[in-house]
Amino acid sequence: MAIELSAVRYRYAGASKAALGSVDLRVEPGRVLGIVGPNESGKSTLCLVAGGLAPRVIGGRLEGSVRIDGADTAAMRSHELAQRCGLLFQNAAAQLSGTTGTVFEEVAFGPCNLGLAVADVIERVWWALRTVGVEDLAPRHPARLSGGQAQLVALASVLALRPQYLILDEPTSELDPAGTALVADALARVARETGAGILLVEHKTDVLARIADEVVVLAEGSVALQGTAAAVLADPRLAELGVEPPARVRLEREVRASGLEWPAALAEAIE
Amino acid sequence: MSVEYSVPSAPSVGSSGFAPSTPSAPSIEFEAVSFAYPDGTQALVDVSLRIGPGESVAIVGQNGSGKSTLARHLNGLLRPTSGRVLLNGLDVREVHVARLAERVGLAFQNPDRQLFAGRVSAEMAFGPKNLGVRGAALDERVSWALDAVGLSAEAASNPYDLGYSRRKLLALASVLAMRTPVLVLDEPTTGQDARGVARVKAVVAAAGGEGSTVLAISHDMRFVAECFGRVVVMGAGRVVLDGTPEVVFAEDAWPALRATYLEPPLPAVAGARLGLGATPTEAAFVAALGRASAKSL
Amino acid sequence: MFQASLAAGRGLPEYVTRRPGGFYRSVNPSTKLAIAALEVVAAFAVPGWPVPIAILALVVATAVAARRLRGLLMVALAASPIVGSILLINLFLLPGASDPIVRIGPLAPTWSGLWFGLQTVLRLFAFSAAIALVYLTTAIDDLLADLARRGLGRRAVFVVGAAVQMVPRTVERAAEIVDAQRARGLDTEGRFWRRARGVLPLAAPVVFGALTEVEERTMALEARAFSAPGRPTLLRVPADRAVDRVLRWAAILALVAVIGVRVAGRLG
Repeated sequence: MAIELSAVRYRYAGASKAALGSVDLRVEPGRVLGIVGPNESGKSTLCLVAGGLAPRVIGGRLEGSVRIDGADTAAMRSHELAQRCGLLFQNAAAQLSGTTGTVFEEVAFGPCNLGLAVADVIERVWWALRTVGVEDLAPRHPARLSGGQAQLVALASVLALRPQYLILDEPTSELDPAGTALVADALARVARETGAGILLVEHKTDVLARIADEVVVLAEGSVALQGTAAAVLADPRLAELGVEPPARVRLEREVRASGLEWPAALAEAIE
Repeated sequence: MSVEYSVPSAPSVGSSGFAPSTPSAPSIEFEAVSFAYPDGTQALVDVSLRIGPGESVAIVGQNGSGKSTLARHLNGLLRPTSGRVLLNGLDVREVHVARLAERVGLAFQNPDRQLFAGRVSAEMAFGPKNLGVRGAALDERVSWALDAVGLSAEAASNPYDLGYSRRKLLALASVLAMRTPVLVLDEPTTGQDARGVARVKAVVAAAGGEGSTVLAISHDMRFVAECFGRVVVMGAGRVVLDGTPEVVFAEDAWPALRATYLEPPLPAVAGARLGLGATPTEAAFVAALGRASAKSL
Repeated sequence: MFQASLAAGRGLPEYVTRRPGGFYRSVNPSTKLAIAALEVVAAFAVPGWPVPIAILALVVATAVAARRLRGLLMVALAASPIVGSILLINLFLLPGASDPIVRIGPLAPTWSGLWFGLQTVLRLFAFSAAIALVYLTTAIDDLLADLARRGLGRRAVFVVGAAVQMVPRTVERAAEIVDAQRARGLDTEGRFWRRARGVLPLAAPVVFGALTEVEERTMALEARAFSAPGRPTLLRVPADRAVDRVLRWAAILALVAVIGVRVAGRLG
C-alpha cells in the first residue's frame, strides 16, 4: 500500500532534457515524505507525475511506472485518480472552483461531482472541515479568505474526496509564518487522524523538521539524498545542493564551527 | 557553509561622461498617516516614521498588518486619507506617480504582475526607458542589473521560460536598472530557494553600500535580522516596534511581537534561554556564546 | 440517476439552503427566463404601439414591486447612448421618408422617421428592461442550479458560474498590474499617445496571468473529480411551485403562439 514511483523519467513536450531522470520513491499511508531541492530541480514535475497529471493533462513523455496501491495511474480515469490521490498547489486562489458562494459549498464541490447522496455529501464536508480545523469558515465566501485560510479550504476540498494520499506542491510558500504554521499543523493532523500518506514539497526546511518522517533531496531531476527527516536535514551536503538547512541545524553548525560546545541546556529549550 | 554572492559595483560617475547614475537618497517621512481602502478597511492608523537617507529598514508584520499598504505610499500608488508622506520635505501628493518612479523603485511580490515582454532584455529596458535613459547608458544599466542578479546568460530568453524564482529575480533586476535612490522590495525572499535568497541579500547589501535607502517588506525574520539595521514591526495598521534587530528581537519585546503573530528568529530565542542578551543573528549568538565561555574559563 | 436535494434540506446549513425572498425574486428562475423570452419576442414580433408599451409598463411595475427600479433605471441609462443614436439615425435617415419636420441645411428630420424611431426605441427599452429584470431579481447561482436540475451539463454551469466570479478577480488583478507598471515609470496620466504605449505592458500580464491560471484551474478541477460520469448532486435548488410551473408553461405557449402568428402573417 503506497504510491510507488519506479525508474521514473519524465520529459516535458518540446524540452531538450529530462525534467526527472530515474526517480524511485515510495509514499506510505500515515507518513509524511518531504521533498526539497533548489528551484527547477524537478520538484513540481514530481508532484504532477506522482499525482497522475503528467502526462495526462500537460503532455510530455513518461518512462517507468507510477502505481497507487498497485494500480498503474496511467490506466485510471481522472475521477478515480482524484479519489485516491489529492493534489494541492501553491496558489490557493487558482484552486478554488470560483463558482460557489460559501466555503461549505466549495468543499462540497468534489463530492457533488461524484454524484453522492446529499446526506453523504454533508457528512464528508463536515468531516473535512473538522479535520482541517476550519469549521467556522463554513459560511464565508471563498474569495474573501486570507491566503492561509484559502489554502486550508483548498485542503479540505481535496480531503472531502477521502483520498488515501495527498500531494502538496509548496503549499505554504505564499503564506506568512502564522499561515504556514496553520497549514503544517493541519497536515500533521491529517496524516495522524486519517492515515493519509503525504508527499510534501517544501522550501521551508523548518516545516519539514517539524512534520516530515522522511525527506528526499532532489537535484537536477534526480534523488541526491534520501533518509529519515532528522538525518537528511542535518546532512552537511544540503548547502552545496542548494538547500537551506533548518534553523536549529544551522545554529548548531555555526557554534561547532567556531570551536564551541553546543550547550546542553538548549536541547530541551528549543526543538 | 552558506552560498555567497558579490554584486559588481554600479557604473561609476564621470568615466563615461554621463550624469551620476543615482541621485542622492532623500529622507522619507510619514506624518500621522492613516489610510482606509474604499471598502472601509482601515489599513494604516496614525503612522509616523522617519527614515533617513541611506538607511536599510525592514518592515515586518503579518499579512494584513499594513506593511504593503505602507510601501505603496512611498511611490504614490496610494495617497493617505489623512496625514502626509514627505520625500525630502516634498509632499508626495504633489508629484505624478510616473515622476516618483525616478526616486522610488518598488519591486512587487508577484513578478507575473509585471512581466510582459518577450525577451528578458526588453523587460529590463522598460523601467529605465520610462525614465528617459537611452543608448549606451541603457545597455550599461541593463547588463549591470542582470549581472547583479545572476541572469546575464538569460538576456535573450523569454521571461516565462525561467522558473518562478528566477522571474522574481528578473523583476527585481528590472527595478534595480532604474537606479533609484530608494529601493523598496515587497517580500523579496518569498518563494526563493537558497541561491535566490543569497542573491537578494547581496543586492540589498550592495544597494545599501552605495548609499541608497533600502526598504524591504518581509516576514522572513532571519533575512531581516541579518540584513537590516532597523526593523519596524507593524500590527493592525500601527507601528508596534521600531528599532535595531537587537532591540526588536530581545526577550522583552517578544510579547509585542507575538501579539502580531510573529516569532523571533531562533538565535534570539536561543540567546535568551542562555541569558546571553540580544542575539538576533547566528553570528551574534556565536560571538556571545564565545564571550560567555571565555568568561567562565 | 438524477440526484437532487428535496425541499427538506435536512442537515444542510441555512446559508446554503436559503431561498430568495421578495416579490418576483422568489419566482422560479426558469419561469422568469420564459417570461422574459416572451416579452423580448413580443416586443419585436408584434407590430404597433400597444404591445411594447404594455410590456415596458409590466416590467417597470414588476421592478417597482420587487424594489429594483433603481437598477432598471441604471440599465436604461447605460442603454441610452445606443438607443439615442438609433433614434437619431431613424429621425434623419429613414429611407423613403418624405415628410420633413423642418429643414436645416442638408439635414431634414422627418415625421415618419420620428414615428418609426420612437417605436423602435420603445421596443429596445422593452427588450432590455425584460432581460435586465431577470438579472436584477435572480441570483446567478440559483439560475444555474435550476438549469442544472433541468439537465444543463456541468461544464456549461461551471463556465458561466466561473466567468461571473472571474470578473471582479480579473479587475483586481488588472489594478495590481497597473500599479506594478506605474511603479516602473509607466505614464498613465499624461498625453494620449504616451498612454497608448502602455497598452502592451498592461494587457500582456493580464492575458498571461489568465492563461496560466487556466492551466492551474484545469488541474485543480480534475483533482476535484470534475470529469466524473453521471449527474452531479445538487445541494440547493430553487423551489418550483405550482404557480411557477403554470406561469412558465403559459409564457412558453404564448411565445409559440406569437411566433406562429407572426410567421403565418408573413406567409399569408
